[in-house]
Amino acid sequence: MTNRENASTLQQFDASTRAKRYRALSLSRILAITRNTLIELTRQKVFYVLLVFALLLIGSSIFMAQFSFQQEFQILKDISLGAISIFTSLLAIVATARLLPQDMEDRIVYTILAKPVPRFDYVVGKIAGVLLLLAISTLVMGAGFLIVLYMREQAALHATMRQMSGAPPDQLADALRAVRSSAFDADLFPGIAIIYLKACLLAALTLFVSTFATSTIFTVVVMAFIYFIGHLQATAREYWLQEHGSALITRVFLAVVTLLFPDLQAFNLVDDIVAGTAISLAVFAKTAVLGVFYTTIYTLLAAFVFYGKEL
Amino acid sequence: MMRAVMALAVLIGLGLLKLPIERNLAALHRQEHFRGVEFNLDLREKIGQLGFIAALSGFRAIVADALFIQAHAAWENTEWGRMLLLFRHITTLQPRVLLFWDTAAWHMAWNASVAAMNDQKQPRLALRVKAQREYFALGKDFLERGIKNNPDRPDLYEALARLYKEKYKDHERAAEYYAKAATLPGAPIFDRRFSAYELSYCEGREREAYERLRGLYDEGPQERLPTLIKRLKFLEEKLGIPEDQRIPDKENKTVK
Amino acid sequence: MTNPAVAVHGLTKIFPVPFHRQSIVAVKDLNLRIDPGEVYGLLGPNGSGKSTTLKIILGLVSPTRGRTEIFGGDSRLVESREAVGFLPENPYFQKFLTGEETLHFFGRLCGLRGAALKNRVNELLRLVRLDRARNRRLGTYSKGMLQRIGLAQALIHDPRLVVLDEPTAGVDPAGSREIRDLILDFKERGITVLLSSHLLAQAQEICDRVGILADGVLVREGHLHELIAIENQTELVVADASDELVRDIESLLSRSNAKLIARRKSTTTLERLFLEATKNDEGMTKQK
Repeated sequence: MTNRENASTLQQFDASTRAKRYRALSLSRILAITRNTLIELTRQKVFYVLLVFALLLIGSSIFMAQFSFQQEFQILKDISLGAISIFTSLLAIVATARLLPQDMEDRIVYTILAKPVPRFDYVVGKIAGVLLLLAISTLVMGAGFLIVLYMREQAALHATMRQMSGAPPDQLADALRAVRSSAFDADLFPGIAIIYLKACLLAALTLFVSTFATSTIFTVVVMAFIYFIGHLQATAREYWLQEHGSALITRVFLAVVTLLFPDLQAFNLVDDIVAGTAISLAVFAKTAVLGVFYTTIYTLLAAFVFYGKEL
Repeated sequence: MMRAVMALAVLIGLGLLKLPIERNLAALHRQEHFRGVEFNLDLREKIGQLGFIAALSGFRAIVADALFIQAHAAWENTEWGRMLLLFRHITTLQPRVLLFWDTAAWHMAWNASVAAMNDQKQPRLALRVKAQREYFALGKDFLERGIKNNPDRPDLYEALARLYKEKYKDHERAAEYYAKAATLPGAPIFDRRFSAYELSYCEGREREAYERLRGLYDEGPQERLPTLIKRLKFLEEKLGIPEDQRIPDKENKTVK
Repeated sequence: MTNPAVAVHGLTKIFPVPFHRQSIVAVKDLNLRIDPGEVYGLLGPNGSGKSTTLKIILGLVSPTRGRTEIFGGDSRLVESREAVGFLPENPYFQKFLTGEETLHFFGRLCGLRGAALKNRVNELLRLVRLDRARNRRLGTYSKGMLQRIGLAQALIHDPRLVVLDEPTAGVDPAGSREIRDLILDFKERGITVLLSSHLLAQAQEICDRVGILADGVLVREGHLHELIAIENQTELVVADASDELVRDIESLLSRSNAKLIARRKSTTTLERLFLEATKNDEGMTKQK
């Protein structure tokens, strides 16, 4: 069959089908882009390298057995949660920095936006793909961490039982309880959730920066800078609001830092959770809301700038 | 480009909006002891450039742990001076981890002090004792600062009480700190007993000690441990408590 | 009067160059009108503003001055793109997707779902003859195949206007032929085609009307046969003419006001020769 014969049998949609199809904000459209983005990201080597690295780091804490179990659990938790924190942050920045520039370089953005796809849907779909990727990474690393923690806890329990084989039962029970309580803490879960939200915030902010950045390197460098300053924002903020003697230029500088940068230190709850401080619902809820707020704002601003971008 | 500028302006505007929220959250953190650590140039010199940056970027826990591992290695080499330095950094970075204060104090007051006392290179006893007492003081200092940072947890009070009891032989202070620990949430039940025990060794506080021990005895069989009974009997003798008010003889029970 | 498929009114596009006082004028005061069912060729050398004009018509770039419309609707509105399919120059689709998955993705973007989407994808794969390659990744496709899948995705939502930017650039003669056949078929079905090319011989074969852009200005426009007809010349192609007949015709001409400009043997095109030769499996050369 020649092309022309084929083409004659090609159906034409009628006007009513056409009219029904276009909707200003379409979830299925956004989801199509999300899924597409996720597949694209999981094919990149950087994702697997970071993931494997993080898991290795978490696994390496098994070699801390020479310390007392309290010290060992302390170090294990600190290293694992630190690994999860830095790898999700790194992944958020690196994966997102290339998202829009890559599409523009490859011209695939033309094919997508030449369809009836609003730029807003496109931006939201892209960032949603990254957030999904981050969620998967966090779950995998979190699972790895909990498995290692469980294994070490079991080892410590057996060692304790061996050491205290002659002791009275209530003392033994006390000792075992001490091991268990210094190992697993239910507050680790909200702590990890907040780490995830911090990564989401960084991804959204990277997307925003990439909309007006001139190259991917520029975006990554700017984000590294923002990451660093963001951890100092709290200090700058207090200094700005309390110091009354410094020069005007210092105060202006501190004001800009305070207003423009997010307080990243606020999302580091795990250090204190591992130290034993309990996390209240109020703190968790407020921090979570702050994270969602930042992520949303940066995404909206990214869409806003992208809307006017010359392709 | 115009849009980017507008976006930044919006960010600054929103910055004003988020400012009270962030402050509120920070206050909440402080209230619940989610405290960060004060950074200053001093700290930077102490832990080096890289460590400072890492700590700043939210990895102070890992930096502290790395230093802790170094301190452990230093202990294996009995480098007491280096250990002291490392523990100062560690407790600065992680003031809320009791383990670090406790371990630091233990190394100073129990290990370094013994090493100083048995120092073959120092022939003069007086100087060895002086060194030993200096280490006691360092241990005490760690625990006191630890308590200042963690006033709500009993562990360090107990450790300090132990230090006073075992190293300074200061039963009064030991009793005081055991009592303080006992009032805090999560304190083990023996803190009250220990406080009373220590008090019973104090000259001039026998009456008070007796009242406390008797009170504990009266609470029930779970408090009637051998040591408690022994101290109670000792005080009964010393204070000349009348026979009818004394606790019954339990000699057959203690002899097994 | 029905709306034109594409209407461009006084379009000007200036690209400011940072740190230079001189900006780039890509398109200058362009006016165009394309009627439904036409095949219109926008021709011009590289850098003449063809791609920019197409992108403005598709709403991907905004004009500095002027207006563009698609079927009467402002082309800056997203809805106007319901009726347009676009094949960009050197399209690069995601190489890890198969042909089928690519079409599914674009179909979903256009609001197609379920059975309707599936059927549409099957039809289009048959149309562009990529049915057998549907489960192969795009990374394994040849240039011609990529262009064909590009055409398929442009058609996924049954547009009334198809915009093609250099559709046959870099494609071998056989592939070019297929694409041209497809374009001619669109015309038969009433789909308007706007294409830009600098391959003039190919454009000549399919376009109804052309516009020639140079430095952002439309220098010539009109129906193809009118534009390229050389007014005062006539061609006669004669078969089985004896030498005597030819001499008679020549002497007739020399006695009139007309002038004989050229007499030569008719030729086929190199393209036809090539296609015929490469179709032959044995590779035997054919004498013409």
